[in-house]
Amino acid sequence: MSKVRVKIIQPTRVVMNEECDHVIVPGSAGDFGVYTGHTPIITTIRAGILLIYNGNKAESYAIHDGFVTVEDDVVRIVCEVIETKDEIDINRAEKAQKRARERLNVQSEDIDYRRAETALSRALARINTIKDY
Amino acid sequence: MANIRDIKNRIVSVKNTKQITNAMKMVAASKLRKAQERIINARPYADYLDMMIRTVKYKNIGTDNMLLADTNGNENNKNKADKVALIVITADRGLCGSFNSNIIRAAQKYIENNQKIDVICIGKKGYDQLKKRTDKIVEHYNDFFNEMDFAVCRDISHNVLNLFLQKGYTKIDVIFNEFKSAIQQNIIQKQLLPIVPLESDVVSQTDYLYEPDEDTIINELGEKYVDVEIWRMLLESSAAEQGARMTAMDNATENALELINELTLMHNRARQSAITTEIIEIASGAEAISE
Repeated sequence: MSKVRVKIIQPTRVVMNEECDHVIVPGSAGDFGVYTGHTPIITTIRAGILLIYNGNKAESYAIHDGFVTVEDDVVRIVCEVIETKDEIDINRAEKAQKRARERLNVQSEDIDYRRAETALSRALARINTIKDY
Repeated sequence: MANIRDIKNRIVSVKNTKQITNAMKMVAASKLRKAQERIINARPYADYLDMMIRTVKYKNIGTDNMLLADTNGNENNKNKADKVALIVITADRGLCGSFNSNIIRAAQKYIENNQKIDVICIGKKGYDQLKKRTDKIVEHYNDFFNEMDFAVCRDISHNVLNLFLQKGYTKIDVIFNEFKSAIQQNIIQKQLLPIVPLESDVVSQTDYLYEPDEDTIINELGEKYVDVEIWRMLLESSAAEQGARMTAMDNATENALELINELTLMHNRARQSAITTEIIEIASGAEAISE
């Protein structure tokens, strides 16, 4: 089976440039899988789990924002933050989740709700990356 | 003739200074290497965003977007406040030759030519100098160059973008030092917003699906582009700063060496003449006794 090339590009370095069987990307309009022959697409990424499959084995990464383009069996993921399982500090993520939930439950003008929501979704992405896969 | 001991003390102090400047030169050289590495590492990301912006432009999508300039390079900002903004990037520290003063001079000229202007300073030296001469500084960021963290840069660029959208500047220009080589820095004035893509033929011909929609994509793309543009300029400036410091310290070391040679010569002369005087005294004393 032909392969899909995944390139993960960060402002400070190129994190990955490898081939794999297929990828599942958390797009802002929903998760989508990319096999070879996928139609060209540009979409934004929401906080979630990026899965890279080789055979039945999947590597999972927590990803928070950015872009993905698919073109000629090359998936380019442009993001500012991406973390492998080992890099995630689960305690910190859980604390962040708790804090964000508390903030969202309080009605007050001082709270930046959008920021709290982003914090929550980031924390959840981290936690799920560790727990589910 | 100067006192022998005075000369000796001066030689010691100049030697100490030479040691310091030499060490600073070494430090600057190693920091320069790191800064150059960072520039190279940032390239794929920046190039890619460049290409995406050009592609969007080429396909004539989002021509009414606030962040993008139209094909004539004019701004799309409808509610423009007839005001421009200037970002001045200097170093946090001195001892790097004319690196900071050149930028400050260019910035002052720019400020004089534009009456309605807001100034944003990145780097301590520029802020310290400009705040005495103008009251138009709206934001300033110090001590960025110690850490060189992308997250900090992103905070800066988000603020800049918010200012652009809220205050409705017609444009934002940046004045910074571009790294040409270790001994040469060029002062560059570049438009940051609205975005003017680089001229190039490299565009993607593919017809993409845009998800969720074109406008969202362009806004995201524009935001990221501003992030990485500022990041790139800061990296350039930091490499140029280290290069300038290296050259300045190299010159200082050389000057110190010259000074040491001169002083040593003076010291020897003084010593010699002292000895000569002493011998004459002894000789004439001996002669007086023998008579």
